[in-house]
This record gives sequence, structure tokens and C-alpha cells, in this order.
Amino acid sequence: MNETILEVQAMTRRFGGLVAVNNVSFAVQRDEIFGLIGPNGAGKTTLFNLITALTIPTSGTLLFKQQDITRLKPHQVAARGIARTFQNIRLFGNLSALQNVMVAQHVHTSSGVLPGVFGLPQARREEKHVREQALNLLEMVNLADRAHVKARNFPYGDQRRLEIARALALQPEVLLLDEPGAGMNPNEKAGLSSYIREVKEKFKLTVVLIEHNVPMVMGLCDRIAVLNFGQLIALGNPAEVQRDRAVIEAYLGDEA
Amino acid sequence: MDQFITTYGFLIILMMLQAVLALSLYLPLMAGQLSLATPGFFAIGGYVGAVLATNKFMPAPGTTYPEPLQSFVVWLASIFPLTATGDAYPLGLVLVEMVLAGILCGLVAIVIGLPALRLRGIYLALATIAFVEILRVLSLNLPITGGAIGIFGVPQPFPDDATKFSYIVIALPFLLLCTWFVYRLERSRVGRAFIALREDELAATAMGINPTYNKVLAFTMGAIMAGMCGALTAHVLNTWNARQGTFDASILILAYVIIGGSRTFLGPVMGGLLLTALPEVLRQAAGIDGLPQWLSLFLSDGRLVIYGFLIAFGVLLFPQGLITPDLFERKQKAATPAPVPATSGGQP
Repeated sequence: MNETILEVQAMTRRFGGLVAVNNVSFAVQRDEIFGLIGPNGAGKTTLFNLITALTIPTSGTLLFKQQDITRLKPHQVAARGIARTFQNIRLFGNLSALQNVMVAQHVHTSSGVLPGVFGLPQARREEKHVREQALNLLEMVNLADRAHVKARNFPYGDQRRLEIARALALQPEVLLLDEPGAGMNPNEKAGLSSYIREVKEKFKLTVVLIEHNVPMVMGLCDRIAVLNFGQLIALGNPAEVQRDRAVIEAYLGDEA
Repeated sequence: MDQFITTYGFLIILMMLQAVLALSLYLPLMAGQLSLATPGFFAIGGYVGAVLATNKFMPAPGTTYPEPLQSFVVWLASIFPLTATGDAYPLGLVLVEMVLAGILCGLVAIVIGLPALRLRGIYLALATIAFVEILRVLSLNLPITGGAIGIFGVPQPFPDDATKFSYIVIALPFLLLCTWFVYRLERSRVGRAFIALREDELAATAMGINPTYNKVLAFTMGAIMAGMCGALTAHVLNTWNARQGTFDASILILAYVIIGGSRTFLGPVMGGLLLTALPEVLRQAAGIDGLPQWLSLFLSDGRLVIYGFLIAFGVLLFPQGLITPDLFERKQKAATPAPVPATSGGQP
């Protein structure tokens, strides 16, 4: 059961003189929860953007289920089964919660302009199915009672959950969560860990997450990669990473 | 009633046609693309209608085209008979012209849209203005478009109706069809993808929506609508020339959408109807007895100044236009429980 699902090979991205991600390589196994940590500006979000093709790599290769997806466009990567959330929530603010989740089912439906406009049976069936699926997902994140409220009118925590529901609507195999606990208090964060585990089991996902909260990451993740100044400085299970000298230096500074 | 139609019949037809143009600009805007190309496609459509209806495509007497083209032109001429003045031009052929104009504009839109829609925001607007200008200069210099004079004497399906109000049998169903089309589109899978792109292109692509395909699709549908409207308008106006597709028209149509409302299908329709009627309303207001002369002069001649003010203040006072999606939602909210208000810490 140690099958590699996502492999980052020698990935580099330069922004002018700044090397945001420098020759980073790691492989994510199917079914694991993989943590990505590091100080501010270490290149974690850039790495997420590289994986989802929102940023084009300067060099390096990206393999998803043994296939090269380095040159794909963002929407093609999403269609292959890699979904994500954003650090600074990016919902469609003027659309209702329901519509937000329905949009993400785009790649799993096919009715074109005319069937949609004329309400042909195929389009109507699809629409009904998409709506039911979306309501189920909203039910799961406890937002079903407010399905018709505009996304921008939701409280912060609810927006985070709505964004996860939207990502799940894509029916991904890999879910990338960019600081899912940002702005949450310790109680909420504790709830979040079990929630992520529950979602992972239910949807048979591989989860990659960026998180600053070290106790949460240590408790939740199967393996952890540590980035500092764009470089991978440690990779391993939580106990190994915690003892790693380079990691301690990066977080606490050099003793000498 | 007869008096009313004699006075306003033509205006009512124009209002409907302009409302369709507003919808055609609204379609790319739905996908977040500010395109001002509508008058360009409107002009192409008008020329298609005028050229076909007047047999302008026939070679000059004594000359012929190279062979496969000559046979095609002769065949085309047999479909579009040049009617003698006084005879009614078949209404069905007007519809055929509209369809052909729509097809041509759709094809042009795909060719133009694929490179142009790589541009964003104001750059796309500039590129589409350039497109409109290029078409205008081309039509001023090509023989088939009649040069600066344009094409006169487009045959009339209703030769005895001086008010042109009879065109309502096409113009009204056409407007209703276009409105219904956009209304339904907004509630379909493709329309949702457009709106998602408008709301947040990056997030939409990360959710699997192909931005290029959907933008070109929205742009093309707008072009087809404008082209069909042009072919019909050529008949209504009886003439077609390079003044139909200008930068002025781009701004005017944009004003319909901005003032009417750019977030729901009803906004552009209302904007197009109201703003086309506005000059006539102003003219009537100018005629009221007892107004100071400067005011009545301003009301009748200062139309563009008043438009300008309306755009500037309209944007300030009603940033979303007169008709917003909230108008519809308010009705729904009465039935459903009130939403939980946003708490602090929410994203702006």
C-alpha cells in the first residue's frame, strides 16, 4: 500500500533574483496526510501553486500517478484530481454557498450551452444531480441550512469549511489545504484535526497540508516536509523531524 | 394610439434593437471580460444584411468572378431577389440574413477572441476598440461596403409602413428570445462557469474551469447576437454605412450595461431600452412651455453631456447599476429564514 501518488522532482521556481522554491524533491504516498511546514516565506504556498500549475516552474518535474503533469494548465490539473483551498480564502463571493459547490462539479458534467438554455432532459438530470451532490456536501460541513446565502456573508470559519466543501465537489484524489486552521482558535483547531481525518477517510483522499501550528501538524500528519528559504531541509515522520538539527535551527535559530 | 405609434413607432423598434446590443456586450462581461467589440459585430451583421438584400455581392456589369465563386454568387442572387421599390421583401429572407450574419460574426469572434482574450481588463477593452476601428476604416474603403456612402435602399419587408413599427413582429420576439437565452444561461452549467470566472478567475481555474474556452464562448455568443441584430437593423434603417459601428457606439452600449446593471440579464435590457428612449424624453422635456431657453437648448442638444453625467454619477450612486441581483433575492428572503450576519474577521 506504499504507492506514490504525487511526486515532486527537483522543482525550482525563481522570481527574479529570489529563489522561492529551490530544487525541492519529495513523494507523497497514497492515503497519507502529508504536512508541509516552515517559517514564513519558506516557499510553501509557492510549492502549492506549482503543484496546481497556477505558477509555472522554472525547472523540475511533477508526476501525478506516474504521469507527467508539469506542462498542464491549472484546469487540467484540477480535472485530473488535484483540488486545493487557498490561504486567503478565494470563494466566489457573490454566488451562494450552493452555487459555489455546484461550480466545482463543472468537470464532472458535460451539458453545453444549448441543452442548458433549452432545459433538455440530459441537462436537467445533470443539474438535479449536481444540486443534490452540492447539498450533500454542504450538509457535511453543516452549512446546508444556509445554502442560499452568498458566500461573502458567511463568518470566517464557515467560509473555510465552505471552501473545503467546494474542493471536495471536484471529487479529487489529492486535496491540498493551505493553512486550513489560519485564524482559528485552539479549540477550533483541535476540531479541525479530527475533521480532516474524517474527510480523508470518507472521500479516500490523500491530504497535503500547510500549517503553522506545530502541535497540530505533529499530531495529524503521517509525514512532514520542512522548507526553509525555498529548500527542503527535512523529511520524515513527526518524531524524526522534531529531532532534526536543521529544523530546530530554522525555527529557533542557531545556538552558536 | 395611432398617433402614438406614428410618433414613437420607430423609437420603440430602436429601443428593442439597442437592448439586444446591450445583452451582447453583457455576455462577455458575464465571464468577466470587458469587450467593446459589439459595434464591430453589429456593423459586420448590418453589412451582411445590406449586401445580401441589395445584391451588392454581384460583380460589376460586364465582369465575372473566377469560376467556382461566380456560380456561388449567381446561386446566392437567386435566393436573394432584388425587389423592385414598392414590393415587399420576404420577411423570411430577413431571418435568413440574420442567421448568416450570426454565423459569420461567430466565426470572426472565434478568430479574434482566441488571441484577444489573452488580454485582461482595460487591455482587452483597448484591443476590442481597435477591432471596431479597423472594421470602420475597412468598410470606408472597400467597394463591397459602398465606401463612405455606404449601402442605400435596403429592401423593406413592410414598404407601406413609414413608421417602421411593423418590424415589431421580428424585433420583439428577437429581444424576448435573446433575453430568455441569457436568463436561462445564467442558471445553467455554462453560465455558472462564466460567473465563476468573473468572480475569481484563479479560483475558477483551480476548480477545473477552462478559462480560454469559456471566455471565447461568451465572446462568440455576444458576437452572434450583435451580428443578428445588425442584419435586422440594416433593414429597419433602410441604409447601412460606416457610422453604425464606431467607438461612440461602444461607449453608448457600455453605458446601457453599466447604468442598467451588469450583474443580471435584466440590467442591460432595461438600460438599453431606457437610455435609447432618453433623447426623445429629453426632447419632449425641452418642449415644455415656460422653460428658460438655455435649459431647453441643453436638454435637446446636450444629450451626450447628459449621458456622460449619467455614467459618472450612475457609477458613484449605483455601482452595480439600477437592477441588481439583490432585487430578486429580497423576494426569496421573505420566504426563507434570515441569514446569519457576517461576524468580524471575515474576508473583505
